Amino acid sequence: MPRGSRYHGLKKIKVRQDWSKENLYNLSRLVTPPAANKTFFQQKWLAKSMTRAYHNPYVREGTWTRTFDRRLPAVVSMDHQYLARYDGSEMASGRGSGIEKHPRSDVEEDDRKGQKKGVDKTPYMHMTFYPLERRLDTAIWRALFASSAKQARQFVVHGWVKVNGKRMLYPGYQLNPGDMFQVEPERVMYATGARKRKANSAVSDQERREERGADEQGSRGAAKSREEKEMEEENELDEEESDAGAATLESDEEREAMSVKPEDEQDAKKAMKNLVARAKRILEDSKRKLSGKRQQELRAFAQSVRKTMSKHRGTEETSAAADDSIEEFETALAQIMTKIPEDAVAKDSTSAQQAATTADAITASSPSSASSNPQMQDPAKEDEYNARKDAALLHAALARARTNPIDASKPYATPWKPRDFMSAFAFIPRYLEVSQNICSAVYLRHPVARPGLAEVPTPFHGETLGLAFNWYLRRR
Amino acid sequence: MWTWLKGPGKAFRSPLPGSTNYLSAYDKQGNLMRARRNDNKDKDRGDRSQPDENEDSIVQRELDEGLDDTQMEKNAVDRATQRVEKEEREERGGVPRERQKDLQPYPLNQSFRSQPVLSEELREQLYIQVTMFKHDLPSVAATFGVDIRRVAAVVRLKTIEKQWEADGKQFAKPYADAVLAMLPQTPFKPETAKPITPHEPINDLPVHPSTRQQIFYPASESRQFTREDAAKVFDNKLLPADQRIPLPMLVDLERWKLQGLSREDRQKKQKEKDDAVHTAAAESERRRVAWEQRTQRVVQGRRWDFKFQDISAEKVGKDGRGRDAVGYRYGMPHEDRKRGMVKIPTSVE
Repeated sequence: MPRGSRYHGLKKIKVRQDWSKENLYNLSRLVTPPAANKTFFQQKWLAKSMTRAYHNPYVREGTWTRTFDRRLPAVVSMDHQYLARYDGSEMASGRGSGIEKHPRSDVEEDDRKGQKKGVDKTPYMHMTFYPLERRLDTAIWRALFASSAKQARQFVVHGWVKVNGKRMLYPGYQLNPGDMFQVEPERVMYATGARKRKANSAVSDQERREERGADEQGSRGAAKSREEKEMEEENELDEEESDAGAATLESDEEREAMSVKPEDEQDAKKAMKNLVARAKRILEDSKRKLSGKRQQELRAFAQSVRKTMSKHRGTEETSAAADDSIEEFETALAQIMTKIPEDAVAKDSTSAQQAATTADAITASSPSSASSNPQMQDPAKEDEYNARKDAALLHAALARARTNPIDASKPYATPWKPRDFMSAFAFIPRYLEVSQNICSAVYLRHPVARPGLAEVPTPFHGETLGLAFNWYLRRR
Repeated sequence: MWTWLKGPGKAFRSPLPGSTNYLSAYDKQGNLMRARRNDNKDKDRGDRSQPDENEDSIVQRELDEGLDDTQMEKNAVDRATQRVEKEEREERGGVPRERQKDLQPYPLNQSFRSQPVLSEELREQLYIQVTMFKHDLPSVAATFGVDIRRVAAVVRLKTIEKQWEADGKQFAKPYADAVLAMLPQTPFKPETAKPITPHEPINDLPVHPSTRQQIFYPASESRQFTREDAAKVFDNKLLPADQRIPLPMLVDLERWKLQGLSREDRQKKQKEKDDAVHTAAAESERRRVAWEQRTQRVVQGRRWDFKFQDISAEKVGKDGRGRDAVGYRYGMPHEDRKRGMVKIPTSVE
């Protein structure tokens, strides 16, 4: 890769192997260069420079031309029932390539199914750069363990990567089928998570942008405190969700509301705030059922949640304290849970937990939607049901807060959430089998092409890749 | 760029809940194309689905009504299917399911799609099938529609996961949840009408280099020219497709079925074949051990056993660098310090 060239130039579009916003923007504008006013050599040169800018420009050109292989791998998936039924001699019938189906009926059938006719071609040209997919650094990036191929390379060089349980320091190591590579989970969380705003606080830099966006949108008075604002936002979100349950999403705002939601749930601060609200709701809903003592307990629980929240809002945030407080909540909640009728909890716990994971958890637990349920017409029963559900929700929220705690000592923003623009690049090719929990992956086999589908992920059109293939073909 | 990021590019900042979020799913203005399509089918089903009644109460009611067991089972399966469908819809939040076109991360590349990954439940199920029920890999692969190598890899990774769990090591749980939510997944829905969704084609035939040429081979019309003969024409050593696929057992089973063999007969035949394979493996193992005993002399050491074996110094060949040869020939320098010699290991055991 020539030195001094812009890595993410906006004038000369070069798509790179990373998840940056510049790259996404370039990807959205990428076109196949028109060939009409160029010589064949120019076309090939352009295609080569485009593709090499994406497919690991850090591999030197000489090394790559040596690894380039004009024999591109492909597979055809066979139907075992067909193989069992025919021995191959049926292809000799007709005019020598099998009995033809009536052309008319063929078309009709295709029209009915709405599929395109004929067999898909095998996109061989898309496999031009398949030898580079064997490299360890590329495979790490493809497994979504690093935000760019370059970062993956750094991980290898710095010793965060193991191959088959042994430390491997060479990013150019050619993985063999069956090799397992492991990356240190902390590094993966750092690479794929949101960045911190400041070194000594756990807040992400994505949060400020969200706040700013909210300020621009809303017409709220400046006199309102930040806390009140957040509470309001939350309420609004809840309301919007209940509306947006079945409606199609047309405007940007609605979609944003939908997309912001799960983040909020992950955000431990807001989750805690939710807890307070829910504890309140538990109290209100089941006032008749719960005895005074238990009400007091619940209230104390809500207060402790609020207190720890205000404590952690300060600049000095320590992980140990956050962990402790969450654990305390756990125990407190467990106590309350035991006092709520047990049989009811046991019966409903699984469904409630499932509900907690869905985005519409809150709408489901709100009294209005619950009352649409014919079983819950009886008000006393409804209260009990809501109390149970809220308790389960609290439990789920706390469990989530425990697995994803606020910790300023981590190198990434906590609670962890994916970095911006990650979802547009998130896919895992079939030649890898990834276990995200332990940040390990197995390189199953070399990538192959099959009819209609190539396994090497590349942003270019087949035409461009064909030209690039031709370029490298020239010398051998 | 900033205008784009604030306008159409805004949708990509954070993931779309319960769905993938690729460039191809949006139009130039940044609208989700499939959201515009009014999915009437989805809505109808949503209306039809029952409000969530308690499972026990339904069973009790059915008992009261006096339904027989098969009917009740069928109803239970139907309810489970509906429940799962409803959950799925809710997770997507009213947005229709992705079409094939929405799964292209790169708009220009029509030949690349983000293909589903195994869901956590399916991975767990595969692990259970192999380790607890002791099913062999090919049969698990055929049942679940997952490549054999993938099944083996899942078992390997799951074993490590369990080990980590036992050791109390921290999982990257938030990362795993977030990433899996961004990817299409192959579900495993036990207790529903269709629990297994095939993950990938399991019988992939690699395109052999010698079959890349076109050959004009005249054969008489009366001849039964089969796949086996065709393979011979391409290369004398090439096996026919039925034997080169990863799961040739499936072809045999289907063939026996077409021959009209009963279920027991088929199972018996399959068992015979399996046994033959096992005995062959055992035989080769026995022969290897016998060879070792014949040729190797073992001397017990304090910590290690020393194994001595006769070797031929002639194996090094003319240049003294024979690949299978032992040791190096005196006077022949190593090349590993030469310029351009790659010292990256080629394999890790």
